[in-house]
Parts: sequence; C-alpha cells; structure tokens
Amino acid sequence: MLTLTICWSAPAAAESVYETRNEFVNRAFSNSPPETSVIWLTGERKMNVSRLLGHDYSSLRLRYWCQAGRSAWILEEIGKDLPITVGVIVDNSQIKSLRVLTYRENRGGEVVVPAFTDQFNGVRLDANGDLNATINGISGATLSVHALTRLGAIALLLHGDTGCEDGP
Amino acid sequence: MARKNPQSSTTRRLHRSIGISAAVFAIFMIASGLVLNHSNQLGLDQHHVSQSLLLRWYGLSEPKKLQSFAVGDQWLTFAGAQLYLDDKHVTATSNGVGAVASGEWLVAASADELLLLERNGSLIERLPWGPPGAGSIVAVGRAGNGAVVVKAAGQLWLSDKDLLDWQALEAPPAKPMWSSSELAPETLRQEILQQYRGQGLSLERLLLDTHSGRIFGTAGLLVYDLLALALGFLALSGLILWVRGRRNGQRNGNGRR
Repeated sequence: MLTLTICWSAPAAAESVYETRNEFVNRAFSNSPPETSVIWLTGERKMNVSRLLGHDYSSLRLRYWCQAGRSAWILEEIGKDLPITVGVIVDNSQIKSLRVLTYRENRGGEVVVPAFTDQFNGVRLDANGDLNATINGISGATLSVHALTRLGAIALLLHGDTGCEDGP
Repeated sequence: MARKNPQSSTTRRLHRSIGISAAVFAIFMIASGLVLNHSNQLGLDQHHVSQSLLLRWYGLSEPKKLQSFAVGDQWLTFAGAQLYLDDKHVTATSNGVGAVASGEWLVAASADELLLLERNGSLIERLPWGPPGAGSIVAVGRAGNGAVVVKAAGQLWLSDKDLLDWQALEAPPAKPMWSSSELAPETLRQEILQQYRGQGLSLERLLLDTHSGRIFGTAGLLVYDLLALALGFLALSGLILWVRGRRNGQRNGNGRR
C-alpha cells in the first residue's frame, strides 16, 4: 500500500528549538529587555512586506522590542512546508544578529549554523529596499535560505518604520 | 531474392510491440515530469485533492476530534491539528481548548498558544502561551468586563485589552463565562471534514506519486521498473536494427555494383 508520509496532522514532529523567545529577547538586550511593543502590518507597510516576501505575512500584528536604537524581532516564514521562526536584532539600521529560533522543516536545517547566519551581520537595506549584500546559499536548503533572507530584509524595513533608530 | 533473417525479424517485432506499449508510458512520464519541474510556479502544492476515492486510497481519515465553539454568530472549529472559522481554514494548531469573542476579535485557545483572529478569519497574531511556569492552557473564557481569561495549571490569568500582557489573578474574576464545545450544524461539520481530508493531499504529492508509481504501492514501483527497462530495450533494439539496416543496405549496394 501507500508509503506516503502525511505531515498534515503532525506539524511539530521535526521541531527543533535552538533558542526560546525569552532567551532571544534577553540576549538582545543584555538581560534587561524593554516593554513589548506592537506594530500592525496594514496599508503601505503591509504592501512593502508583501513585496519582500512575495506574499502576505502570516499575521497582521507583530511584537518587537526597542531600546536605545536597537530593535529585536521574532519573525516567521515558511521554508518549504512549515514555518521557520527567526530572531533578528537590528542595531544602527543594520543586522547585528540573525538566528533561527525554531526550525521545523525536514530538510534544509543547515541554515541554523552560525557560519551561515553570520553572513547577515552588518547587512542593511540599499536604496531599493533590498539587502545590500549577497547571502551565499546552501545546496539542498535553498527555500530555507530564501526564507531567512526575506525575514532579514523585513526586520530592517520594520526597524525603519518603528522609528526605533531615534529612540526611545 | 534476399532471405528473411528470422533473428532480425524477432527483434523488429519485439521493438514494434514494446514500443507501442511503452509510448504511452513515455509520453506520460515526459508530461508529468515537465509539470513537476514547474510545480512551485504552477502552485500545485497549494491545490488539494477533494476526490473522495483518492483520499480513501491514501488512507486520509477524518480527524479524531472535532470540537466546535460558538463565537457570536460564527463557529470556530478545531479539527485534528487544524482550525476553521465557519467553513474557512484558518491555520494549523493543536489541542484546541476553547474560543471566545473579544470585542472585534476572536480568540482561539489551544493548550500552548492563543490565536488572535479578525472576524473574517485573518490571523492577527499567534501568541505562544508563555508566562513563566504557567503550564498548559486548560480553559479560556471571558470575564464580566469582556477581558479574556485563561486557566492554566490551576492558575487564572487575565489579559489586557490588546492581549499583550497577562496578569495572574488571586481570585476568580466576576461572572466568568468559560468556553465550552458545542455541536456545530451538521452541514458545517460535513464541509469541514471534507476540507480537512482534502487538504492532506496536494496535487503535487499526487502527481509525484503517479510519476514514480508509488501511488500503486510496491506493485506500481515494479511495473514502472519494467516499463523503464522496456524503454532501455527500445533504445538498444533500435540501435541494433539501425546497425543491421545499414549493413544490409551496404551489402545490397555492394551486390548491385
């Protein structure tokens, strides 16, 4: 009979948590995180995010943390079938750190290694709203690489939208 | 008169009969292979099969649990690991606990997260349930003032109006209304069950399994192996026939000279 594996009812079967949300926020702000803020993806902002992603973001409201020109974002994007949760720290309008917090896909998990994610350090948006550096791909993890690249760009875009650069 | 070569005739007969049989297979493999190469662009992974016989063939059964919660004049239903608002699929979640309406929003609670939705089913935010040491959510409801209340590991938690922060309650809030599952209308249940099963099988998966023969299990794989060998035989016998044809042509040509 069929050998088809249906992952429909077991989305979290291959879930690997590399850093919890609390650990990420504490790391971003040296264990003194600010209050949680929210930003809504509506109007022009929603369109800009959709342009970077190639589709609408999965939710309409995002939480972030902002302090002294630094912001921390927890974003999700589907690689092939399941969402990848990524934590991005933006400082001085450039990515200070991008790490995979939770990886759920069966393939493409190579994107969690720092040798790959460190490529994002220091990257900022160019005048066209795209990343100003080329992120080298990984064979067999193309969709996950694309997902992380898009999330990096979104974090930079939203950082600019929040006015976090100017305070508080 | 040229004598008929019986060995050559057998090769030719086999080449012809196997060729006709394999042609249909080859055309199907080429067509399905081309479509699969562009499955992402064609959105095949986003389209799902709803044909009942196929779903049964794949062993896609109904969800073990179907829990519906009335939220105003709408229904939020947890079917297995999926959430539906009326008959519209919202997102994946698991272990549904309850659902309430909160102002203009809907809140669906599972054991380890809360889903904040618009009335049209758009996901506003997925809120992982995370007050330190809070335990899993066992019930969700509304306090008398409309705020969302959650019960987790014997402790009550009250949300702020934007569902951003949670405050542990010392005593139960006044007149809490806890969400409890109800029996949704039969037509809605049937529609959700049909969708649930259908979304388990994408067109891409169906085409992949047909392309590889796996849709018919081990027997399908073996048949496809034989057909692949037949294609190999065709290539070989075609080459033999061509070489012999050339030799015969040269021999006949030499004889005429």
